[in-house]
Amino acid sequence: MSAGPDEDPSSKREGMGNGANVRCGVLYALMVLCLTSDLIPEGEAIWMTLPPSGTKCVSEEIQNNVVVLADYVVISEDHTHPSPTISVKVTSPYGNNLHHQENTTHGQFAFTTKEAGNYLACFWVDGHHQGGGNLSVNLDWKTGIAAKDWDSVARKEKIEGIELELRKLEGAVEAIHENLLYLKTKEAEMRIVSEVTNAKVAWFSIMSLGICIVVSVMQLWYLKRYFQKKKLI
Amino acid sequence: MERGERKRGSKLRIYALLLVGLLLLSFVRDLSALSVTVNDVECVYEYVIYEGDSVSGNFVVVDHDIFWSSDHPGIDFTATSPAGNVVHTLKGTSGDKFEFKAPRSGMYKFCFHNPHSTPETVSFYIHVGHIPNEHDLAKDEHLDPINVKIAELREALESVISEQKYLKARDARHRRTNESTRKRVVLYTLGEYILLALSSALQVVYIRRLFSKSVAYNRV
Repeated sequence: MSAGPDEDPSSKREGMGNGANVRCGVLYALMVLCLTSDLIPEGEAIWMTLPPSGTKCVSEEIQNNVVVLADYVVISEDHTHPSPTISVKVTSPYGNNLHHQENTTHGQFAFTTKEAGNYLACFWVDGHHQGGGNLSVNLDWKTGIAAKDWDSVARKEKIEGIELELRKLEGAVEAIHENLLYLKTKEAEMRIVSEVTNAKVAWFSIMSLGICIVVSVMQLWYLKRYFQKKKLI
Repeated sequence: MERGERKRGSKLRIYALLLVGLLLLSFVRDLSALSVTVNDVECVYEYVIYEGDSVSGNFVVVDHDIFWSSDHPGIDFTATSPAGNVVHTLKGTSGDKFEFKAPRSGMYKFCFHNPHSTPETVSFYIHVGHIPNEHDLAKDEHLDPINVKIAELREALESVISEQKYLKARDARHRRTNESTRKRVVLYTLGEYILLALSSALQVVYIRRLFSKSVAYNRV
């Protein structure tokens, strides 16, 4: 396995001058372009079709303190009319409005979750849209490690290429570890609920037997007293 | 002079290698586990760039207030290729994993069909993974086998992450069932106690009426 390149800034500058190394410079520029631009996106998007009326919502249950990054674009299948617009609304589990945009064909929003719960993003077609064609919305929704800005990490720590890819893999492994811990705590919570329910079932069943006996004893006592009063016994 | 030329030549080769490596490695796709409410049919589309990419994913029906779970067997799932052929289908399940190799590139359609009238919330995760294969290696002599190994490693990690998302969704569903059980235990037993007391009071009232003088005096 070959190792990554060792960067030598002085030799890079020296290589930029000559004609034979213009190719080197062009390649380097292309590489920097790949690293820093959005031409090759790292997360992919799902496409949804929006009916002319009605809302389409997607939601996700997210923990506290997680970065969420999302991008949306509208494509219309019907090219004869001017580009249709949609409205977007993103709400937090407690009902706070995180992002609200009307009359837009594309946009993006980013936030860090302050509370754990269900985050909802709703799209609907604006009333101004004429024509009955279906709209396609491309939603690029990234949370946690997928939303991490690797370009700034690469710039700050001056790493690139294979080292950057290995750093990304390391980030993925850390995310896996965090997810495991989260699943462990969720399982512990559920275990507590199960055991409480188990104890409740036992206690309530015994109590139900007790109430049955008490009620029937009271019945008998009352009827006996009643018949004695009526002088039937 | 010669050493300088060699140095510049090797730098050129390294940059070309890096560029191709970056181009190929960045074509690994990822997605967050989104939930969508299925009333009748809900379709999600995903674009597969390379033919032969492995498309994997999972979905879980997050339990809502179903009274009897035997009444509701689950939902159907179909994956359709851009040509219109059904590539993968699962019927009547409350959650499952799926994986298939994309026969061609293009826009793939993943549909959830809910046969019942009550809307269901489905949490799904779809991942399209590409590993540069020997054909790409042979085409471009600057492509290093290390990029293939890194891509394989990344795919393995993505499969672990995918499994974790599935477990998380299943855990959420299990948690809802547990909460529902707890509520049912409390409410139903309290209702049972009240009904018991009520029915015995009604019994007493009825017996009293049987023995009362105003109704059928000589019947008892």
